[in-house]
Amino acid sequence: MDVFSKPKFFATSSKGENAELLAELNSEYRDRRKDAVKRVIANMTVGKDVSGLFPQVVKNMQTEDLEMKKLVYLYLMNYAKSNPDLVILAVNTFVKDTDHVNPLIRALAIRTMGCIRVDKILDHLSEPLRKCLNDDNPYVRKTAALCVAKLWDLDQERAIDNGFVTTLQDLISDSTPMVVANAVIALAEMQESSVNKDVFVVNVAVMNKMLAALNECNEWGQIAILTSLAEYRPLDSKEAESVCERVIPRLQHANGSVVLSAIRVLMIFLRYIRNDEFTKGLIKKMSPPLVSLLASAPEVQYVALRNINLILQKRPDILQNDVRVFFCKYNDPPYVKREKLEIIIRLCNDNNVDQILSELKEYASEVDVDFVRRAIRAIGRCAIIIDEASERCVNVLLDLINTKINYVVQEAIIVIKDIFRKYPQRYEAIIPTLCQNLDSLDEPEAKGSLIWIVGEYAERIENADELIENFLETFLEENSQVQLQLLTATVKLFLKKPSQSQEIVHRVLQTATQEIDNPDTRDRAYVYWRLLSTDPQAAKAVVLSEKPPISVDSSANNLSPALMDELINNISTLASVYHKPASAFMGNKAFSADAVRKAAVADARDEEQIIGEEAVASPTAPVAPKNALIDLLDLDFGSSEPAPATPVMSPPTSNKSGPNYSGDLFDMSSDMSSGGGSGVFGGMGGMGGMGGVGGMSGMGFQQNQNQNQSQTSTSRDAFGDLAGFGGFGQPAAGAAPSQQPPKPASSNTQSSTVNDLLDLF
Amino acid sequence: MTLFSLFTNTHSDLFSDRKVIIEKHWHELIPRRVVDFFNDQVSRAMADGEDVTREDVLPIISSPKYQLINVYRDGLTYLSPVTKEVDPMMVFEFLHRIPDIMQEYFGQVSETVIKENFVTVYQLLEEMMDDGFPLTTEPNALKEIVPAPNILNKVITTMGATTSVSTRKMPHGMSNLPWRKAGVKYTSNEIFFDIVEEIDAIVDSTGKAVSCEAHGAIQTNSRLSGMPDLTLSFVNPRLVDDCSFHQSVRFNKWESDKVLSFVPPDGHFRLMSYRVNLPSQQNLPIQVKPSINIGANGAKFDITVSLRNTDGKPVENTVLTLPLHKSTTTLTAHCNVGQYMFDPVGKVLRWDIGKIVPRERAPVLSGSFGFGSSSEAAGNAGYNIGVEFLINSHSLSGLKVDVLKLFNESYKPYKGVRTMTKAGRYQVRA
Repeated sequence: MDVFSKPKFFATSSKGENAELLAELNSEYRDRRKDAVKRVIANMTVGKDVSGLFPQVVKNMQTEDLEMKKLVYLYLMNYAKSNPDLVILAVNTFVKDTDHVNPLIRALAIRTMGCIRVDKILDHLSEPLRKCLNDDNPYVRKTAALCVAKLWDLDQERAIDNGFVTTLQDLISDSTPMVVANAVIALAEMQESSVNKDVFVVNVAVMNKMLAALNECNEWGQIAILTSLAEYRPLDSKEAESVCERVIPRLQHANGSVVLSAIRVLMIFLRYIRNDEFTKGLIKKMSPPLVSLLASAPEVQYVALRNINLILQKRPDILQNDVRVFFCKYNDPPYVKREKLEIIIRLCNDNNVDQILSELKEYASEVDVDFVRRAIRAIGRCAIIIDEASERCVNVLLDLINTKINYVVQEAIIVIKDIFRKYPQRYEAIIPTLCQNLDSLDEPEAKGSLIWIVGEYAERIENADELIENFLETFLEENSQVQLQLLTATVKLFLKKPSQSQEIVHRVLQTATQEIDNPDTRDRAYVYWRLLSTDPQAAKAVVLSEKPPISVDSSANNLSPALMDELINNISTLASVYHKPASAFMGNKAFSADAVRKAAVADARDEEQIIGEEAVASPTAPVAPKNALIDLLDLDFGSSEPAPATPVMSPPTSNKSGPNYSGDLFDMSSDMSSGGGSGVFGGMGGMGGMGGVGGMSGMGFQQNQNQNQSQTSTSRDAFGDLAGFGGFGQPAAGAAPSQQPPKPASSNTQSSTVNDLLDLF
Repeated sequence: MTLFSLFTNTHSDLFSDRKVIIEKHWHELIPRRVVDFFNDQVSRAMADGEDVTREDVLPIISSPKYQLINVYRDGLTYLSPVTKEVDPMMVFEFLHRIPDIMQEYFGQVSETVIKENFVTVYQLLEEMMDDGFPLTTEPNALKEIVPAPNILNKVITTMGATTSVSTRKMPHGMSNLPWRKAGVKYTSNEIFFDIVEEIDAIVDSTGKAVSCEAHGAIQTNSRLSGMPDLTLSFVNPRLVDDCSFHQSVRFNKWESDKVLSFVPPDGHFRLMSYRVNLPSQQNLPIQVKPSINIGANGAKFDITVSLRNTDGKPVENTVLTLPLHKSTTTLTAHCNVGQYMFDPVGKVLRWDIGKIVPRERAPVLSGSFGFGSSSEAAGNAGYNIGVEFLINSHSLSGLKVDVLKLFNESYKPYKGVRTMTKAGRYQVRA
């Protein structure tokens, strides 16, 4: 026999393989038995059923050969569940092994016993476990500690009655750090599923013991201890500082999870620190390790970036000088690039905006279309965040428009519309350039944006009526979003230049009310018509009212403070990656419902987020959770908004009666991008009676963003006309006359035209 | 923080033939169909665009019941489905440890290697995690418990002799210093330090670094008897912006004196890793000057490589890769040094320069490529050149070892320090 040949474990043999194995397992030669066991395990791993060999395999368990023993244990763990009666055969050997002179074997036996999740084993587990928990050898004790958690998982009562929980709590005071760490791991796990939540309470004494073990145990133990430390709430600033001091060295660990767990503790404890000097120093120390995480594998980078995004929202002063490390490499995976881009924008300030702009311009020439669009949107956000840089941003955008690459042009126009909203009357000079690209626009959002600009600046664009006419040629074929924009732009044009456009507005309103089936468009047309015919002054007040300014970095990208704090408490968890509470994405329904109930009490806004997210995400989430994730961000309503009482909102369903405003507005907004549903009726009802709608227009409409687009800080689809609707609400609230724009001179002619118009009907 | 199950499946580039090689459940059985669901999601994500590769798929995928945390390495996917809130960073760290350890044991990681060594692999997985909690992941410690396959072991096993070698020894976790076993003996005591720095940089077409940092690691091979207590000091430790250490390094000593004080583990280990931010006016060792003039149907290009700041050392293993636009069909070029290759399927131009010696003539590659169909996107796309190289006996950051002192043992060890600078993620924008 060739000694060096590899045994052919995976060799497919004739039909009687099990019979052959059976014979081998009973062989009188140990090496043949061992080879047979290996082959059994090979079969097991490829999914073949070898459970029939159970008694023969278990017979080989009693051996001094550690490898053989482990192999049999492996087999046992796999098949115990399907052969609970046969497991009894193994119990004796297990119990004997927990008394073995070799601590390795004692530990291995107790570990494996705990992994065999069969009731029959439990009856025999208590005695050996008690012995092992009190073993002289720390290696055995630390293994036994985890075994208590396994027992707890199957039978909590038994674990308590046998005093194992108490013993485990005592192990926190063990002299060996690794034992302490494992006790912490086990207790934390048990705490989660305990009814009274009294298994593991982190008090001062426990905390001090954990801190003492922190530096000495291995990386995984450190993670467990840091995670439990995050549960502790310090009594005062001094205590918080001293804990931080002891946690700071963990930032220097090579394991990213240790680093992030330490960051979590620091971020939580920072809330309690009243010493500004200390806080400053701490924040300074947190930056380098966060940057170092970006040199790791892309998956680790991804988690790090999502968490950095969170941390930056809470502590904008961190990483201030490190924007360069977030610049994208061309071969970064797209999910890493997207997150880096988000962070680059968060770090944008007066000093680095030039650097950032040239970087973003670079990205706009990449191949990945989605990323290019995001980069262009980011340029818009720079302009909105930093007033002084807005001109440079506009110039970069104009350069991009000159590339004539279709999607670049369209995206740039969308972005420029936002800049117009932020800085009205500053950049009208570029309107002609924009209009030159009219023919290349085929995306509803881009088209809508340009139409909005034309309507908004109608009085300054000489051929505004021609442009609108041009667009109107395809009115009926347009997407509803574009139709709505056209409708509003035409009405604006009419209010600004009544003489030129009377015929147009009449035609549009008539077409919209008679030939369009989409209830949104039709109903808005009716509203305008009625408005123009009854009270032209009110029409002006509504349609041309001053738009609420888009905020610097609005709710679109920021989380509500309550959710923010919850997520900071959960740095380095899935929640911190998704930026939503665990209940929102974990499949466990019972858990989810419970959490939702809790959230309802605690924070109605967050609850909306959960439900809204589920509604949006459930069909698509598995495909691309990242997209759903961004939606969630959009769903955030900002802190100033009064929380609507009813969080039910299923975007595309119709909600005609509209008893609750928020729901209707959502319908409306989602219609604008999806083109379905008929929320306007409800929305109108809302406007008739409620003054607060205006406040929502800037925030609530975030929801209607296309799912996979990065958000700028503005309510993009809502544009000015929705803001107009917002304004619509305000006069209705009781102050209508005083809010009229002071244009007495023109109002005469205007009203007469309107009256003419009226006559037409 | 529990990791439940692990599936390792192969992942060929085509959408077929994805099979589970390793399936290991540490807590409860998770049905295999979760893998089908996962593969389905991956296929769908990859069908999204023609440029989407397996590497581009999100590392955390939601399913109605599970969060599918996965790592893709060397053509293998390591998938861990979880049902409750976990620390994903920990899961990733752990999942990466698995191929790391396999690499350490078998020298390479592939489907074949795993299958040939499946008994060892399963034993390793068993030791690395218990009921969802990472257990022993230190290679040195693992080698004590699970013997690495080598000729000797194979002889012993095949001859039917007992493999009780490991049963007699105490595992690492039991000594006072968990990372070092007692009673190590060598006839000649020696310790080697390899300081390897990788440069991550983005350089613009004018040669200016847009972002630039060096990631260094001190790889150590310790073959010292007894319980040596070492102190390693640097000439200029303050260069370092951020660092992390092996467990053995006394952190307080570093904080106060900026020296590395430690009792080393036996064998290979990473003593320290560090990061140095380099200023944008940093003199990079190599300058790549690309010029690409794009027309409607193609482009003319030439790329010049010159050495700048290598302390007179030659640059070796220099390779440039230039991914071209996907509409590129033809390429002609010539170079004065090395050889180039155009991959018409992957649309990548690879120029293998090899060694560049200072003051010899600068390597130049010039030529032109053509687009199959003229498109405006192709005409406006940006180009990036990936650069690989290494320089021996060179440290970009300038970090220098001063002295190594040995306490607690009386012998005089042989000490060796080597430095090397390598390109990490180094790219030049054209």
